[in-house]
Amino acid sequence: MSVPQTLRQATGEDAIDDVVPRHVALPESAEELAQILADASRERQLTVLRGGRSKLGWGRVPSRVDLIIGTEKLNRLLAHRHGDMTVTAQAGMPLAELNHRLAEHRQYLPIESAFPQATIGGIVATNDSGPTRHRFGTPRDLLIGVTLAMTDGRLVTAGGTVVKNVAGYDLGKLVSGSHGTLAAIVDATFKLLPIPLASTTLVATYADGNALAHDVAALSASQVELAAFDMCVSSEGRWILLMRMASSPAATAAQAEEARRLLSSAPAAVSGDEERSLWEEQIRAPWEEGGTIVRLSWLPSKLPAVVALLSRLRQHGCQVATFTARAIGSGLIRLEGEERAIAGAIGMLRESSDAGHVVVLRATPALKSQTDVWGPSSGTIEVARTLKRMFDPADILGAGRGPV
Amino acid sequence: MDQRLVKQFKEAIGPEAVLTEPVQLVTYECDALPHLRSMPEVVLLPRSAADVQAVVRICNNEGVPFVARGHGTGLSGGALPVPGGVVISLAKLNRVLDIDIPNRRVTVEPGVTNLEITRQVAPFGYYYAPDPSSQQVCSIGGNVAENSGGAHCLKYGFTVHHILAVEAVLTSGELVQIGSPFVDAPGPDVLGLLIGSEGTLAIVTKAVVRILRKPESVQTLLAAFDSISEAGSAVSEIIAAGIVPAAVEMMDAVAIEAAEAAVHPNFPPADTVLIVELDGPSAEVAELFTIVEAICQKAGATKVEIAQDEGQRGRIWKGRKAAFAAMGRISPNYYVQDGVVPRTKLPEVLGRIRALGEREGLRIGNVFHAGDGNLHPLICYDERIEGQSALAERVAGEILIYCVEAGGSITGEHGVGADKKEFMPKMFSQDSLDVMQSVRDALDPKRLCNPGKVLPTPRLCGEVPGPYREHPVERAGLAERF
Repeated sequence: MSVPQTLRQATGEDAIDDVVPRHVALPESAEELAQILADASRERQLTVLRGGRSKLGWGRVPSRVDLIIGTEKLNRLLAHRHGDMTVTAQAGMPLAELNHRLAEHRQYLPIESAFPQATIGGIVATNDSGPTRHRFGTPRDLLIGVTLAMTDGRLVTAGGTVVKNVAGYDLGKLVSGSHGTLAAIVDATFKLLPIPLASTTLVATYADGNALAHDVAALSASQVELAAFDMCVSSEGRWILLMRMASSPAATAAQAEEARRLLSSAPAAVSGDEERSLWEEQIRAPWEEGGTIVRLSWLPSKLPAVVALLSRLRQHGCQVATFTARAIGSGLIRLEGEERAIAGAIGMLRESSDAGHVVVLRATPALKSQTDVWGPSSGTIEVARTLKRMFDPADILGAGRGPV
Repeated sequence: MDQRLVKQFKEAIGPEAVLTEPVQLVTYECDALPHLRSMPEVVLLPRSAADVQAVVRICNNEGVPFVARGHGTGLSGGALPVPGGVVISLAKLNRVLDIDIPNRRVTVEPGVTNLEITRQVAPFGYYYAPDPSSQQVCSIGGNVAENSGGAHCLKYGFTVHHILAVEAVLTSGELVQIGSPFVDAPGPDVLGLLIGSEGTLAIVTKAVVRILRKPESVQTLLAAFDSISEAGSAVSEIIAAGIVPAAVEMMDAVAIEAAEAAVHPNFPPADTVLIVELDGPSAEVAELFTIVEAICQKAGATKVEIAQDEGQRGRIWKGRKAAFAAMGRISPNYYVQDGVVPRTKLPEVLGRIRALGEREGLRIGNVFHAGDGNLHPLICYDERIEGQSALAERVAGEILIYCVEAGGSITGEHGVGADKKEFMPKMFSQDSLDVMQSVRDALDPKRLCNPGKVLPTPRLCGEVPGPYREHPVERAGLAERF
């Protein structure tokens, strides 16, 4: 392989699922990234695209990785058009830093990550989100334009920098959730939101999941508009519901009042710095300790059935260490126990008609060898595979780890 | 068309579902962009996804181009028939299949109208958010194809934000599920690619849409201003105050005059009117509405009218929504353009449009979604005056160039279709267009699915952009367009 100056030998620190790649490239420009990708494709180097490494373990175990292309040197904020409430940032820019910069104009990108080093590129590639998805959706809903580096070295754009635009195919949407299997995201443009004038969070605690599910149903049928919404169960079996209201001061207070009226359990109210830390901790919590993490989705009305499923998991020989439900029918389960028991539990979840998609996000290589982390194929995946053959004819991107 | 083919279609979906008589076909020669016309040879009226599969398979086997059509309300010629091809009308796939209130999902066939969904769920206190002006008649299938927006997309987004899954027939005839009624399906967002692909990648036969709780409160005001820059600064102030209105619309003097002539909304005399609508929980709307009103006053509004009831609100929106059609009252002909600029560039671009109209001697009215910078210049002309039709087209094209130069887009909601494909190179590099073509070729290798739309095609020498004019080479029977 022609070795660009930015290429270095990989070390154990670059390992993915214990597989040490051969080389790491850290391009400093979009053109360089595209050139490295073209060289890799021509020489059939199995390539993994890497942002802040925060979700690098997601995916199947690679048989081999020849090259990692890291975006850490592509980390600039290219334009914050605050009057238009849009921003363009390079893929390697950390989300946290981006939001820090946007706050100068009282704006923000309503996406959260459990990982402080998570980058824009990685967030789009995984379409990962946090509790504000309840109100603002996932990254794909906020993305309005992208620049992509293709495996043949071309740099192409789709979308634009305006919030309303239907010209051409939305390739930005297509790479959302692609886990780096189609093309490299070079930069991304998002629409932004104003930071709310006021915010408060109610925290209600329940002895059992059914009482919580009952309150969630009451809230969702009401006129309370939550800015973020999470629920979790601790290993001690206490159920907690977190609801954030964020609007103008009087409206926030009125919304909180209305929510209190609907809840069967008297909630505590938190605001200011304490509220900020509460949510940060809530988002990080599932990841802070070891164990397998499975993402599960369900139809909102099936929450009681999902609660029942969790207790069945407990009987399955593995322990549900934590369960965190994100908003409208998605959640993270942290499982502890023997790999075989966990593989069995994942199989049980996939067979349940109450569960939608069951994706294994964090697992040991041994567990990954016993279950497909992505789950069964689908029409979406079939079409995506057809597209992958065009985007990545040498089949190098993702090194066999991704969903396509 | 070859009678053997017609026979195959009749055997597949029944003779009554295959239209071949010119008198039946004429309805399908154009969509709501009437200056682009082409008579189809056959129109097919499938009644089920299986019917759609059957006819697509025949087209695929026989190399016949096909164009899917909803209710024909598109404004970019996206459903324009292709010479030598068939039109597949989805009008008869018009059933609402499932209403799931607890999970806020409705499953419909593509021929169901946009407003029908809201009609069905309104008794439960819900609605379907995307609201294109044609919502009474446009189809969900068409909305998916065009990624339709509407006046309220500033706050609520476009069709792509409200569709969870579709069932679609690929160009091979295979039926696939794209997306999922559950969130967080793993893999690339193929659904997001399909929505807004203008019927060029597949034919949607079913859609699962998300419905929203009807807002507790809606408040609408109309503010009159002496200049567009004052109205524009009011919009900037509202946004800077951290308020995201449900809708922010503007109309200039020409558009106001037309609306008054047509539907008498009784707008106050003004150079520009601004319509701002807030919705949401009552306490929030009440508090923010006071701020919006104060901002309008401070920006120099000569009058602020607040809709006191549903009737007054309806009157304001009637004036706004009638503006396009109303141009017919003040001009024999008009051309509706659709372009987008970054919101902060509105005054500059509107100034350029005004100067352009003065320079070329054409009146140009402006109705636009000010919150998201989506312009709809209405170019008035008289086709009886020689050269004016061509001039109006040229002016409309020039406006798109202004939009792109300002960092915007050639279309915010009407789509590229057959109308604007030649403007795509103004927005995208050749490499970008080539990759989009490759995406298309991957899913439609024989180039049969709505060919000639969205992406630019090589021109015949001497061809001019704009409305269809038969090329001399075509007239002589030496070439045909596809």
